[in-house]
Amino acid sequence: MQTARWRETINLDDLWEGEMTAVTVDGEVVLLVNLDGTVLAYSNRCPHQASALDEGDLDGETLTCAKHLWEFNAATGCGINPDDAQLTRFGCQVGGDGTIYVDIGPR
Amino acid sequence: MSRPQRKPRIVAVGGGVASAAALAELRKEGFDGDLTLVSAEDTVPYERPPLSKEFLLGRSGSVPVKDPAWYEQQSVELLLGLPATRLDLAARTVTRSDGSVIGYDQLLLATGVRPRLLPGVDGDGVCYLRTVQDATELRDRIGAAGHVAVLGGGFIGCEVASAAIQLGKRATILEALPTLLHRALGSDLGEVVAGIHRDAGVDVRTGQPVTGLTPRPGGGVQVTVGDDPVDADVLVVGVGTVPNQELAQQAGLSVENGIEVDEYFATAVPGVWAVGDVVAQYLPRYGRRVRVEHHDTALRHGRAVARNMLGRREPFADVHWFWSDQFEHTISSAGLTDATAPLIIRGSLEQRSFSAFSLDGDQLRSVISLNRPKDVLDVRKLIARDHRATADQLRDESLPLKRLVPSPATDPRVSA
Repeated sequence: MQTARWRETINLDDLWEGEMTAVTVDGEVVLLVNLDGTVLAYSNRCPHQASALDEGDLDGETLTCAKHLWEFNAATGCGINPDDAQLTRFGCQVGGDGTIYVDIGPR
Repeated sequence: MSRPQRKPRIVAVGGGVASAAALAELRKEGFDGDLTLVSAEDTVPYERPPLSKEFLLGRSGSVPVKDPAWYEQQSVELLLGLPATRLDLAARTVTRSDGSVIGYDQLLLATGVRPRLLPGVDGDGVCYLRTVQDATELRDRIGAAGHVAVLGGGFIGCEVASAAIQLGKRATILEALPTLLHRALGSDLGEVVAGIHRDAGVDVRTGQPVTGLTPRPGGGVQVTVGDDPVDADVLVVGVGTVPNQELAQQAGLSVENGIEVDEYFATAVPGVWAVGDVVAQYLPRYGRRVRVEHHDTALRHGRAVARNMLGRREPFADVHWFWSDQFEHTISSAGLTDATAPLIIRGSLEQRSFSAFSLDGDQLRSVISLNRPKDVLDVRKLIARDHRATADQLRDESLPLKRLVPSPATDPRVSA
């Protein structure tokens, strides 16, 4: 049986729509993205060279890593350029009081 | 009785990222004719940026742009290991060095550049860096060396020196100009980069031309520079590049510091296109021809030309962008830099965290950043759209750069 690994992070009030931020969960830096009220969680490490994605740019659904301009669809985690890249996605849910919970899975 | 219709064939000459990106985009956009890649190198197109960085450090192997299996899956014919030696634009054929002839309906020239060779600077212990073969040889030589010298304080020289130090070697940069990266960054920013290299242990010798080169008895070379000769086990020469434009020139295409193309990548000959480091492209934004040697630009060229080859007629307007990793620092830039333009600094040169902007009236022309890649992303977006900027705004750290886009309420053209 899966153990509950949901960890409390920040509140939705602190992550505006169209914004992203990095939080630390169980030692892992997690990127939280708010797309029109839907919050998604990814590893903050770009799959290219592990650069911090929160230092990049979120424009609509396009997430761009500042280091080498790799681009991702923030709604799916799929690479746009290059199109065979993929962000590591984590479980994410928002509680009734706006708390954002993240599950980074077994370590 | 009619013959079955032959599928159109596109031939790409040159095996770099521009070619690979064009082939991929052609298939992605539904081109189902024949595709052929002709490359002098004997591997599928690979990423060159790591060759002077992670590859030398042993942290990365050769990284293909597209997996070798992709070419088979997408029915892209690979003609590798032999250069194209002749184009016949009237007969629409490419001839390779073994005499084999390939016909085309449309031709893409992406022949790239080669290192500029210094006359008299050759022999054992002298290396140039462009291909994965060069990089493999250099990696092995640096591994066996105690002292690595680089001739030329440009991006290749600085990145190789950075790698050599990180591998525990002694490193020396020899540059005739007053600072490192002088042509790209100008003297003030170049001096910051020189400081980074000196602090990391590189012997940076700027402002002194090399006057002689002598092979050493035990291997390696002795370089005469000023009064103090440099004994190096390996000398890496990085003194610029030369466009591989001879094939185009001999075929009668217009060349001058690159193959001349318009903003659609078209040459003067219908069905013949050119992209990547080798092109001198006319860009209306600048009112002149521009030749850049950036990886990102070559990739975007490839994608854009593919759409134009399929009849789209989309002018190329992407903002030029590049980066360089040296030690723990990242230099990145957007726009077309002009090392002689006055620079507006946000951040601190001393703390090695700054963005240096240049303005063209009230429009951003370019930015060069050290360790502030987000600024570069923001400027890249600003250059591509309507914006207004003043020097004071750019210096003001408290003002987010994205605010430089006029809001609809204050834009006179909206209310007019």
